[in-house]
Amino acid sequence: MKRLHVAGSLAIALCTAGSAFAHHAAAGVDQTRTVTIEGTVKQFKWANPHSWIEVEVPDGKGGIAMWNLEMSSPSRLVPAGWKSSTVKAGDKVKVVARPMADGTPGGLFVSITLPGGQELTQQAPKPGQAPATP
Amino acid sequence: MIKSPTIGRMGGMAAVFTLAFAPQLSAQSQAPAASAPPPQLGILAPANLAKPRPKPPFDLTGTWLHNSPTGERFDPPAGFKLTPEAQIHYDAAQKATKEGKIYRNDIGLCWPAGLPIMMTRAWPVSMIQLPNSIFMIQELMNSVRIIYMDGRTHTDPEIAVPSFNGESIGRWEGDTLVIDTKHFVADHHWIHDRQGIPASDALHVVERIRMIDGGTRLEIEYSLTDPKSWVGTWKITKFWRRVDDRDIAEVECLPDLNEHMPTVNSNANVR
Repeated sequence: MKRLHVAGSLAIALCTAGSAFAHHAAAGVDQTRTVTIEGTVKQFKWANPHSWIEVEVPDGKGGIAMWNLEMSSPSRLVPAGWKSSTVKAGDKVKVVARPMADGTPGGLFVSITLPGGQELTQQAPKPGQAPATP
Repeated sequence: MIKSPTIGRMGGMAAVFTLAFAPQLSAQSQAPAASAPPPQLGILAPANLAKPRPKPPFDLTGTWLHNSPTGERFDPPAGFKLTPEAQIHYDAAQKATKEGKIYRNDIGLCWPAGLPIMMTRAWPVSMIQLPNSIFMIQELMNSVRIIYMDGRTHTDPEIAVPSFNGESIGRWEGDTLVIDTKHFVADHHWIHDRQGIPASDALHVVERIRMIDGGTRLEIEYSLTDPKSWVGTWKITKFWRRVDDRDIAEVECLPDLNEHMPTVNSNANVR
């Protein structure tokens, strides 16, 4: 499967999550860094104006932290290779996100590594890149 | 003379009330006066649509996406002066911004953007032009504007129901569509939500719309007046491009959506 990861494009990620096709301001997000979390998908919502993923992440203390990850709209996600079935409850995933500045688990979605190793972002591939299908 | 569907509906309600609760009134007193004007036809009534009208200079039917170098919000002009009431919001928004916070994120909390921001949000607007009206539907929250162009005037302020998009009356002036909108809500409605510039129920919006570049772009000059929020009239011009490869979808802002939006729930929002 082709790698479609463009997580290095900070400016593009911020633009998508914070403005284009959003319905609100990206309040409280630490825009200066990304974090990578690994956990189990509890829920994936395929919806307008935002899709979102809930991921259960071990907190290192024997407990679980529930991460809410805000995504763009399906009209942006489809060209980036997403379907409503791309992520399912129980999937073991790795997610890159822009975290909440106050430490609340959650933030703006940047990219995901699916159980099969495929990576997806919220960005449609640029001309000349491989089609964005997981 | 006031002609509006609102009056028509209220007249009907009054008639029902009279019949149900005032049987002592004579039949003569219930009859409409001989000089009463005919009720305003609904904008989609076939008899209204079929009235002969001049051919319009252009047809807005299509889907349009805002695309202006000035961004989606309506920046005040240099040297602008706010009223003391609006200045309170403006100062609070400046303070929040300096602290890295967001002031009154009302659109994020599912309040309608309202005119004029509903036209420039980062979602397309579908427009349907009929012989006597134009329907505009913003994809975000599917907010609807109806531009009445059947000759009616604005509803009597005493009975108009305030709304986020206001009441819009349109007319053609040469190759320009002029839309006059008033009767807005007073709360949770912003001219510039990031800068904390509120709209009041005194907001008056005049849009002058031209179709340019062979029908591929729209230019709208906005004249914004709101004596309860600022001094004078602010003018700003925005642009849209036709997006023939887009349809709008149902986009609702729902409570369970926001439960999963950490940015909406963040304490970096100043309510």
